Amino acid sequence: MGEISMGKFDVINSRAVRVDASDKVRGRALYVDDMKMAGMLYGALLQSPLAHAEILNIDTTAAQRLPGVKSIITHKDAGLVKFGVSPARYDETIFCHDKVRHVGDNIAAVAATDLDTALRAVSLIKVDYRELPAVFTVEEAMAEGAPVLHAAFPRNITAEVQDEFGDVEAAFKQCDLIKTTSLVNKRQDAAFIEPQGCIASYDFSGNLTLYSSTQSPHYIQRVVSMVLGIPMGKVRVVKPYVGGGFGPKAATNHMELAACLLSMKTGKPVKMNFDRQQVFMHGRSRHQFFHHMTTGVKKDGTIMALKHDCYLNGGAYASFGIATVYYAGSLLGGPYKLPAMKYHGYRVYTNLPACGAQRGHGGVIARGCWEQQLDMIAQELGIDPIEMRLRNMMSAGDVTCNYLDMSSLGMKECVEAVRDRSGWKEKKGNLPPGKGIGMSCGFFVSGAGYPIYRSDTFHGTVIIKLTEDGGTALVYTASAEIGQGSDTTFAMIAAEAMGIPLECVRLESGDTDFGVDLGAYSSRQTLMTGLATKEAGEDIKRQVLEVLSEELHVPVEDMDIKKGFIVFKGEKPDITALRTRYIKEHRGWSDNPAMDEELSFREASRMAFLSRGSIVGKGKYKPPILGGQHKGAAVGTSPAYGCSAQVVELSVDEGTGKINIEKMTDAHDCGLAINRTSVEGQMYGSLSMGLGEALFEEVKFDDKGRVINDDLAEYKITRALDMPAIEPIIVESNEPNGPFGAKEVGEGAIMPAIPAILNAVADAIGVRIFELPLKPERVYMAIKEYKMKKEKEKGIEGKTLAGSSQKQA
Amino acid sequence: MSLPEFDFHAPGTVEEACRMVAGFGAKAKIFAGGTDLMLDMRRNRISPEHVISIPGIEELKTLEIASGMLTIGACVTVARVVKSKEIAAKWGALCAGAKALGSCLVRNLATIGGNVVSARPAADIPPSLMAYGASLVLKKTSGERVVSINDFFTGTGSTAMGPDEILTRILVPEPPPHSGAGYVNLGIRNACDINILNVSSYIALDGPGGAIKDARIVMGCVAPTHVRVNSAEKLLIGEKPTDALFQRAGEAALNAATPRGSAYSRASAEYKKDMVKELTVRTLAMAYREAMGR
Repeated sequence: MGEISMGKFDVINSRAVRVDASDKVRGRALYVDDMKMAGMLYGALLQSPLAHAEILNIDTTAAQRLPGVKSIITHKDAGLVKFGVSPARYDETIFCHDKVRHVGDNIAAVAATDLDTALRAVSLIKVDYRELPAVFTVEEAMAEGAPVLHAAFPRNITAEVQDEFGDVEAAFKQCDLIKTTSLVNKRQDAAFIEPQGCIASYDFSGNLTLYSSTQSPHYIQRVVSMVLGIPMGKVRVVKPYVGGGFGPKAATNHMELAACLLSMKTGKPVKMNFDRQQVFMHGRSRHQFFHHMTTGVKKDGTIMALKHDCYLNGGAYASFGIATVYYAGSLLGGPYKLPAMKYHGYRVYTNLPACGAQRGHGGVIARGCWEQQLDMIAQELGIDPIEMRLRNMMSAGDVTCNYLDMSSLGMKECVEAVRDRSGWKEKKGNLPPGKGIGMSCGFFVSGAGYPIYRSDTFHGTVIIKLTEDGGTALVYTASAEIGQGSDTTFAMIAAEAMGIPLECVRLESGDTDFGVDLGAYSSRQTLMTGLATKEAGEDIKRQVLEVLSEELHVPVEDMDIKKGFIVFKGEKPDITALRTRYIKEHRGWSDNPAMDEELSFREASRMAFLSRGSIVGKGKYKPPILGGQHKGAAVGTSPAYGCSAQVVELSVDEGTGKINIEKMTDAHDCGLAINRTSVEGQMYGSLSMGLGEALFEEVKFDDKGRVINDDLAEYKITRALDMPAIEPIIVESNEPNGPFGAKEVGEGAIMPAIPAILNAVADAIGVRIFELPLKPERVYMAIKEYKMKKEKEKGIEGKTLAGSSQKQA
Repeated sequence: MSLPEFDFHAPGTVEEACRMVAGFGAKAKIFAGGTDLMLDMRRNRISPEHVISIPGIEELKTLEIASGMLTIGACVTVARVVKSKEIAAKWGALCAGAKALGSCLVRNLATIGGNVVSARPAADIPPSLMAYGASLVLKKTSGERVVSINDFFTGTGSTAMGPDEILTRILVPEPPPHSGAGYVNLGIRNACDINILNVSSYIALDGPGGAIKDARIVMGCVAPTHVRVNSAEKLLIGEKPTDALFQRAGEAALNAATPRGSAYSRASAEYKKDMVKELTVRTLAMAYREAMGR
């Protein structure tokens, strides 16, 4: 800790202006809906109005007759190749053929000359259904004799996980206190500002280009190729600027596949967009989790064992669900020393839109449940909750009972930072009624140890090419800038690795033609794409210095490139001949170097081109084999873990139950911060999302499985006026497995938000709440019940203990 | 979703607008700010054949205070009301309702008239207008009439306004000396929310430190329309204001509220009833504070 001194780097570890800032602020940045192509058609989807029904007949004749309609496709055209996220659970087809499994399930698509015509055509397609009984809750879905969504999965169980590390029952026997609590959240919507959209363009040479608002061009390319039977080399997926993803855009959607097929059928580009209602019907955001945990501790607060059961309401398809149910268990292995852990998780199919991955994948509600429970345990033992957490804290080099290796861990520093900066010691226990302070910790992966499909593929490849005139480096990566700032991060890493200023780097990303990159999910890009970028940059530097070495007869190891100039460790060689040659190459140019100037990278890279042709640097990354050998060990493994601590201060209006979050102090260990501004941006974003989940957000359904709050008026996310004062604190450990010591911040920062709020609310009102969101009604009712219970107890005590002294409350 | 097809009309005068409304009847919808209408049309809840746009009619944008009367043209935007220092000083509860409505962008478009005639029980503007005893001027080709806002709302989305009438002005009398009003709305988040509940209260005292001689309490979100709480008002009149009295008024309001509280409501009936009491007490206290200072 503290080993990284500022100024060690020339580009990274600073506050850089984002490379896309100007275009975005001035409205020049292109999103997919800004794009138009000659002859472009517009597509629309026919989606099921019923939650569970057999399809008896699909009649498209009336729609076909509508002028302007160019193509109508159903399962008959699309085939029945199954796809999904994890190959072990490919359970979706582009269009349903035998039955629909949720409101919004896809039945047909139309391409027409304009959107109105396409929508009208969709309304003219006649589908005969036979309605089937539907299941909407975990209890209904798992009940004996319940209707089954997928024949291959009895009792509607998508996946069941049973793990035990250490001996939980034996550990419980040594415990002084064993506590059981639960927590349930509500289904979330990630509520990205840009709904999914795409343009597919199939050309007459048989090449398919798909422009899409996606988090992972690579995964989309694979699924499009597999489902439509086109070689991957002929499928190119391009991601324009994207207005947020948060998880649901990490997998292929039916609209992307339908647009491709419609373009193939019509020979024209086809644009399709989800409207906001369709975003809700497609779903794939955070599951509803039912957590039930039992923790055993010693009198001094030492955590001994955790027994954990969890049920996930998953919706109609698997999506990321298998990973989700594993993460829900495995991400409790740290950051506390926990010798024994037992987990039993079920991910269950229901007739609702599928749930998938969302920021803090699988771990957020589990963290909420456990950190509230740890707070209750600390309270019962009379130990300050921060003190109890510090007593159990892991440190760098520790390995969890489920084999997660904390190769760097600034957790203790994070806790101490939020404790000291929030004034915890003065405030805790000294606040007036109605005001509360609470804290929590959390940690998260810096990328998954394995791709979502089983493969030995590289997780990221990067190519850097120098321009032939010298001086500019073109970085090509298939990684996904989705608003988080990754383009700037990789431009900075490339510049640092090559030793040139950020302005000399031009970066293009999000295109499968640039290489392989698994994309923006599981907080992987900074570490994984970052390492590949660094390797490519170093490759460039080596090649340029090799040519210089030949020209100047100076050994490569005696030279370096820094801030765009060549640094000679020993005596400076005579560069007159080289410079004269460079100037001759640029006769008539006004910016040639004077004879007494330092030798620049621009000159050196020009010489390199003259000597070797195109200078191309290559970088790649895949993690080493990580984790344990048990089933599901892959989920939760990562080359590095980011961690964070948070203190929340709030007040509760006891008359209405309304919570006002007053301040959030958040510390995050992101290893070395590449762009400090972007790191803080991710912290702010995580806190805003965590606050919304804790206080407002819930997707609601009617008794037919239809979303009743499918817009951003009734589905309430955090707005500017709901955001409290935030103090972000960057804690920098040095991650040995990351580029320049960097690791994640994108998702980890959400981990402590919900439990810190839960703990602060309990501190304010004296009662614990085990269901989210903490909307005014829920909080008010909890206070009311608590008061009534106390009144009653007083009454009973008054009767039975009449005359004797009142017991301490 | 795209808009259904319709004919767009932009009359230049109130008279012209009245002729159109009379001619098209139920086939037409009036566009003032459009913040509700456009949503309803986009989501296919309604598909009028004719849309009559009235914000271009100057007369409907009058905002003036003269001889003890605030006149708000139907097309005055909510943002203008928020900005008016005179309204904030004399009709504070109306200003509070206007501030609570939607977001800055919505307030720039939404009109006071629109918020009244759309007749939504969660709307922010009607409660304080009812508390201040406002009346509405309705016009048709054959003339105009003035109705009390108390008699205006007949159900969710329906009013006493005829299909051939348009709302032109809202008349809000200046509160007398020793009177005050309060408005509180309760939502889930701090802005751009849809109310779970809202209450406005008005009281007038019989001189400084005197008894309550007039009271109006209005609650929203507990019935198909905004409703006056007559039982609570009666209980207040003739009494000296005290915390205990306000508590009793709150209790009476709680008993008068009949929220549905179905599984799909924004809150349960029990919570809404408790909040009716809480907000009644709070708004009465606000009204009393204002009355003592004026």
